[in-house]
Amino acid sequence: MPQHEDAHAASQIDEVRSALLAFVTRSFMVNEADIDRDRSLIDQGVIDSFGLVEITAFIFQQFAVEVREEDMTREAFGSLNKMARFVARRMREHA
Amino acid sequence: MSSARCTRCVLSSSFPGLTFDGEGVCSFCRGELMLTSEESAVEHARRQVEQLFAVRTRPYDAVLCNSGGKDSSYTLKLAVEKYGLRVLSFTLDNGFISPKAFENIRCVVDALGVDHLTVRPSMQILRRIFKAAALLPIYRDKTLTRISAGCNACISIVNTTGLRLALEKSAPFILAGFTLGQIPANAIVYRNNFRFLAESREESLGRLRAAVGREVDEYYGIGDSLLDRAGPSPHNVNLLCLERVTDEEIVQAVQVLGWQRPKDVDGCSSNCQLNTFNNHVHQRRFGYSPYELELSHLIRKGLMSREEALEKIADQPLEQLAAIASRLELSPPERVALWIPPGRPPA
Ligand SMILES: [Zn+2]
Repeated sequence: MPQHEDAHAASQIDEVRSALLAFVTRSFMVNEADIDRDRSLIDQGVIDSFGLVEITAFIFQQFAVEVREEDMTREAFGSLNKMARFVARRMREHA
Repeated sequence: MSSARCTRCVLSSSFPGLTFDGEGVCSFCRGELMLTSEESAVEHARRQVEQLFAVRTRPYDAVLCNSGGKDSSYTLKLAVEKYGLRVLSFTLDNGFISPKAFENIRCVVDALGVDHLTVRPSMQILRRIFKAAALLPIYRDKTLTRISAGCNACISIVNTTGLRLALEKSAPFILAGFTLGQIPANAIVYRNNFRFLAESREESLGRLRAAVGREVDEYYGIGDSLLDRAGPSPHNVNLLCLERVTDEEIVQAVQVLGWQRPKDVDGCSSNCQLNTFNNHVHQRRFGYSPYELELSHLIRKGLMSREEALEKIADQPLEQLAAIASRLELSPPERVALWIPPGRPPA
């Protein structure tokens, strides 16, 4: 991948991550500092299975990325950072 | 322990992460954000239901998690009478379901002519699970802002049982009696990847396994062989959210089926006597009721008055604690650790 595309991807991931973080902190009453971005939000107790539904709805509204059942894996949704990378990759694929 | 509450909702000052303004209004009341327009989410769910229910399955279209409360009973009525679904109703008997709730379940399933299963796990294991949930840090504090540890342990078994039954019977839908306010509007119809959810809960299940034993896997897990031969996950559908109906109308409609309001449970539960114990432990440990978040949400949405919510929180038959502690076989030191007065020895 050429370097400028690399940089573009990285900034897109950053953008998605900040939007997700803002959504999670506002919707689930939790401070940004209390969220471990590399651990499962469910395991941390930040969200339950309904929270997961809300996050996928937010991702669809905000980024037009549809999350299918088979997308919900540890690799794609196992942490906030993983979600951000998953969404950004989908956006690039459909760009 | 401070008993100060938000002047608009019922959140306690001890609720984690909460701040108050000069008028005593909590940060959640000041800045709550609406995720989706509720109306459009409900409309979307209505179209989904229409589409999904067009295909019928044998022997069952749906499995219903039936607590015996008015909302589950009304959901069953809707499923059968309005949508014409073939439903398998089931109740998890955790040993503390009120006798009145069982009577109600029998009346309603008989009146509607549906098959019903009561699933009663080993009481020896359930007791160990409930004790572990009360005494040990099985779940994260953040999880416990929404629900007590004991209820969380129990609801997880209900959900797993519902999913297992749906997979075994190839039923494409799992119905529950949640109302808007209890769940987000975009969770009226949804589907979760069970493997992912199970993986995400492996940590707390590991702690429970360490405390109780490997038997917990029977109740909190779906065997790989069943998952492997199962098709796509069933849809979870909360039909009650699609109705514009008041609590009073729901009660009237289910009373026609023989349902009667139980008098032997606390203000926050329609069927379970263990709820009182779970609430007590949570209240003493954290300084707020596990129902505050849900009730406050209902107040903000104009679905409940603050007075009514306060009444529900206060309606705790604490005199039952000693009897519940005996049924859980709590030792004297365990009672002390859970702030339970020593009861009379069982007769
Ligand atoms: Zn408030």
